[in-house]
Amino acid sequence: MAKHPSRVQHATLLPAARSNTTSRWGLLKDIRKNPWLYIMLTPVLLYFTVFHYYPMYGAMIAFKDFSPRLGITGSPWVGWEHFESFFQGIYFWRVIKNTLIISFYELVFGFPAPLILALLLNEVRKTVFKRTVQTLTYMPHFISLVVVCGIIKEFTMSDGIVNDLLSFFGRERVSLLLGPEYFRTIFISSGIWQNIGWGTIIYLAALAGIDQEQYEAARMDGASRWKQMLHVTLPGIMPTIIILFILEMGRIMYVGGEKIILLYNPSTYETADVISSYVYRVGLQEFDYSFSSAVGLFNSAINFMLVICSNWLSRKMNNTSLW
Amino acid sequence: MVQRLLSSKSLVKHFKMGVSAFLLMSLVLAGCSQGDGKKTEAKPQEDKSAASDLGTTYPLKANKGITSWESLNNNAVTFFPNLADTPFGKTLAEKTGVNVKYIHPNDQQTKEQFNLMIASDELPDTIEYDWTGRSAGSYPGGPQKAIKDGVILELNDIIDQYAPNLKKKLEADKELDKMVKTDSGKYYVFPMIRNPSGLVFRGPMIRKDWLDELNLPVPTTIDEWATTLKAFKEKKGATAPLSVTYTGGNFEIRDAFIGAFHTSNNFYIDDEGKVKYGPVDPQYKDFLTLFRNWFAEGLFDKDFALTDSKALDNKILTGQTGATVNLLSGGMGKWMDAMKKQDPKFELVGAPYPTLNKGEVPFTGQRDFKYNPGPSKAITTAAKNPELVAKWLDYAYSDEGAMLFNFGIEGESYTMENGTPEYTDLIKNNEKYSLQQMVSIYSKPNGPYEADERRNWNTFPQQDEAVKIWSNTEAEKHTLPAFLTPTDAESKELGKILTDVTNYKEEMFVKFIVGKEPMENFDQYVSQIKKLGINRAVEIYQSAMDRYNKR
Repeated sequence: MAKHPSRVQHATLLPAARSNTTSRWGLLKDIRKNPWLYIMLTPVLLYFTVFHYYPMYGAMIAFKDFSPRLGITGSPWVGWEHFESFFQGIYFWRVIKNTLIISFYELVFGFPAPLILALLLNEVRKTVFKRTVQTLTYMPHFISLVVVCGIIKEFTMSDGIVNDLLSFFGRERVSLLLGPEYFRTIFISSGIWQNIGWGTIIYLAALAGIDQEQYEAARMDGASRWKQMLHVTLPGIMPTIIILFILEMGRIMYVGGEKIILLYNPSTYETADVISSYVYRVGLQEFDYSFSSAVGLFNSAINFMLVICSNWLSRKMNNTSLW
Repeated sequence: MVQRLLSSKSLVKHFKMGVSAFLLMSLVLAGCSQGDGKKTEAKPQEDKSAASDLGTTYPLKANKGITSWESLNNNAVTFFPNLADTPFGKTLAEKTGVNVKYIHPNDQQTKEQFNLMIASDELPDTIEYDWTGRSAGSYPGGPQKAIKDGVILELNDIIDQYAPNLKKKLEADKELDKMVKTDSGKYYVFPMIRNPSGLVFRGPMIRKDWLDELNLPVPTTIDEWATTLKAFKEKKGATAPLSVTYTGGNFEIRDAFIGAFHTSNNFYIDDEGKVKYGPVDPQYKDFLTLFRNWFAEGLFDKDFALTDSKALDNKILTGQTGATVNLLSGGMGKWMDAMKKQDPKFELVGAPYPTLNKGEVPFTGQRDFKYNPGPSKAITTAAKNPELVAKWLDYAYSDEGAMLFNFGIEGESYTMENGTPEYTDLIKNNEKYSLQQMVSIYSKPNGPYEADERRNWNTFPQQDEAVKIWSNTEAEKHTLPAFLTPTDAESKELGKILTDVTNYKEEMFVKFIVGKEPMENFDQYVSQIKKLGINRAVEIYQSAMDRYNKR
């Protein structure tokens, strides 16, 4: 069971050692060669086994009529009943649609944002300015989500700062979080604000790894700053971008439910209700654990397929892939 | 390096999600052998001979403590993190001889934490929660199911043997007895018994000082309310003249304003004694239209559905709101108290439940039953010594215990004057804290005991007056008893229907009011609710009520 993550871990940490581990004997040999690396890996493996793989057997309640006191194994089997009631439920298409749309927007607006910021920062030559911007932009990442949502709520109330601005331009004061048409904009833009700085760290690290001689060579050939970015910088960090993109694809069906739950209300369910918030509402609040598990399982299955597909595509197209 | 570490970390995280789906199939197919079997067996009854050395007088000779899961009063939280540390908790432990470890859920997440606790294997000895299954905030499936699920114990024998004080009260009051047992005659909790004057404690309230200033009477009909709210908006600059909290799908207006149209926001009993579901009544549309208009005109809070109790406090105290529907002491008392110094003119008074025509007796309003299910305690199957738990709980129903639970500690929080307990100045005239705050640490405002008729927490004469005004309704006739007990099969069906219906209804409700859904779609909304099975739910409640009446 634990073999998969071990290989993934291994592959990313030690790309060069990958071919050695293809056979079982190779693995043993590798362990003997790098014992400390494997020892360092053990806690991680243990963590995943204990906290992620062991609890997984509980997912079978998706096929059971789970009653807490009967326990996971003791509850009676009901087959696909919960899946059927989800697929036939009046909200099925809506939550799927909302999940896809929000994820899509996150991908289109949220994904490139840190990349663009990183590229901009990369062009900045003044270290003080660069560091200040970096620090300021990744600060929001450390604010608790509940606080962030509290701030958003205050700002968007009918007497909040956003409405102060709007009314200055002659718009009528409306409670923005009550409007289904504004929800996605609020959600995505606040998400960018929260994560842009944090996201740039990875890109900046990748940027630092680009061979400076390439820039020199490009300059010798008369490339402008813009051309240097297009032809040296971007190709240099392309593998990182692609890997992050594949990972992002795996999240398509997974929109952070916590933030949605903190921000939505019945009047915005129409555009805000996603799979995870729906699972929360029906499952935890209404006590229907089996149903929630069924939905969650369905969600994970789709994510799994998406990761496999995008990985396969990426390997076909430009030889960069996760495994 | 940072890049590699980060990417590999999230990589595994995402990989895990994918693999989980894949592995699950094989796990399910293989069947699982991990043992959880112990939960399926009912706990054997405790050996009685071993436990009976507790004695029959307090303090009990208990050598072991017990655990209790219960909400800590909102006011008490500001003083002590745990009930055991309050003067009340200390005295209770001393008097009963039982050390109790209290586990308090977070105020905002009581329901979630309760559900998680039930799902986990770790139950305390006793749980203070609503077991009736009547709403989302109670044990789904009701007491019958809770007993069958092996969560709580049937208490008939236990009350019989170990709780003489409660037994006496139940025998003396047949009406109460009917409320606290299931259709099949099983007791399941140590109930909170309300005092007769404690049955009405919420309703509409309005700024009297504003009314006086504007030369307006206290509004009684919907039309008068409209005039009043308009005046508040235009002349007093109120940005949300009428505001009511709405959190987690609970619109705290309850049946005020809705009742004017002879319907309810939930199940109710109509004039013929039949159960009905208000939100599908044709006249419910009139209510929605009214509030939709008020919302559009700015008479009703523009931030409706986003207003929680903190936001409401703020709106009332800063004069953005001039009328609301709220609690007698937790609302009216609290706000008047808070404004006492800042604005001595600030005055709230109770307004009658609005009606359509002048002089009409309001169709419904808030009126609770003698049995208050929320603060009632059940004994769980995890209790190692149910006798001890029962005896500890029964103390509250004894004469001595009742004084502690109601008034606190004699000589400290109250004194006896001519046979009547009177709060001391420490409670009544405290410089720093309000009466509500003080009683919350010296007594137990809500809990499994009988509330004393002599207890009066009202600090303002307006409160006494409000109770009288709010009591004048036909609520008793139209309120569905909270302790109906559908059968197991019915419960399950009901649960499913209600989950769907409430989800849909709440969404449409808010959308109708804020104008995001055209009013013409009301018929569609009704037929959708019918499609979700509301008629069957009404049927179930009807038969449960018939059984209840026969108990």
